[in-house]
Amino acid sequence: MARVLGQDAAVLGAAGADLEALAQLEAWARRSVVVPGDAPIIDAHVHLGIDRDGHALSAEDLVADMDANGIAAAVAFPADEPGVDGDFHEANQRVADAALAHPGRIIAFCRLNPARPFARALDAATAAGARGLKLHPVAQGFRPEGDECVAVVREATDRGWPVLFHAGFGARPLGDAFAGLLRQVPDARLILAHGGRGDHRALAAATAAFPNVLFDTSIAALPDLVTLPPERIVFGSDRPYGDHAQALHLVGVAARVAGWDAAAVRGVLGGNLARCIGPVVP
Amino acid sequence: MNRTDALRVVALAAQAEMALVRRDAVAGPLLAQASRAADGTPAAPPLAEAARLVRAAPEREAVRQAALSLTRMALHEAEAVVLGAAG
Repeated sequence: MARVLGQDAAVLGAAGADLEALAQLEAWARRSVVVPGDAPIIDAHVHLGIDRDGHALSAEDLVADMDANGIAAAVAFPADEPGVDGDFHEANQRVADAALAHPGRIIAFCRLNPARPFARALDAATAAGARGLKLHPVAQGFRPEGDECVAVVREATDRGWPVLFHAGFGARPLGDAFAGLLRQVPDARLILAHGGRGDHRALAAATAAFPNVLFDTSIAALPDLVTLPPERIVFGSDRPYGDHAQALHLVGVAARVAGWDAAAVRGVLGGNLARCIGPVVP
Repeated sequence: MNRTDALRVVALAAQAEMALVRRDAVAGPLLAQASRAADGTPAAPPLAEAARLVRAAPEREAVRQAALSLTRMALHEAEAVVLGAAG
């Protein structure tokens, strides 16, 4: 056993962990979700690189974790490492390189700060093979409904890209913010991360009339997920802040509580995201 | 587990989750309390292992992250009972 719960098993063992007990709990968590047939599982939310807060994940460790947990493919974008010029150029290139090294397994999204000039960064990411955009209003300090963010979401939408937004931890209310963004870019395809737990009830109400707005399950709150229509939910792990077994367990518990049928579970695990981002295998 | 017992586990596990996120030393005692409160329920095994891990090596990052994962599993199991799912 090289890895367990997304961690290096040797490190956990050296810390005194009962690796056999952890492996059994990981397997129990995985079994919580009944995967219909051969439904491919696609992870909508992975950070690659070394974040300013110290969390880190390499492409090689990600693929090892995916293999261990039956994850077919993952959308990956840079951790919060904007670089000296603040435009994520090097980090975006590293994620694009990871996608090239693992075709069909890693799907590159680029990351930007809307307050910085973004045309060059979007062009470079497009040329490198990026297929979507990740924005983090808390880390980069901007408002989703602000002019700069609206401009970058409009540009991404014009390129046919979905945009994944951090919508978890943060102080600001989010319902009116995303309603404002969607009034200006109504055809935007948005993925609101963490089930929108930063302001879930307001976000669910504000986006109910926009079927192109999805919510990912990464580190989401169970009461939030079970009140959403399953066709609006996509599986996400938030690696390296979360792990795949726990993320699969959350989907299994949500399916049990909400009474999702096999078609709904298939959609949450990958079908809904595939409709949003297009074919996974290039 | 009845809903009252489940709600107790939810409260303790949610506090422990945030303590782990914040790297707060109170995570260890909270996990121990949550583990006792969950005894005999599906939330108990992950909480017991998380408590044991954090007690053994609270300063190790891999331990913190594994304990977080286990705590979230237990939290969701207890929340499911509060929300009325069959156990």
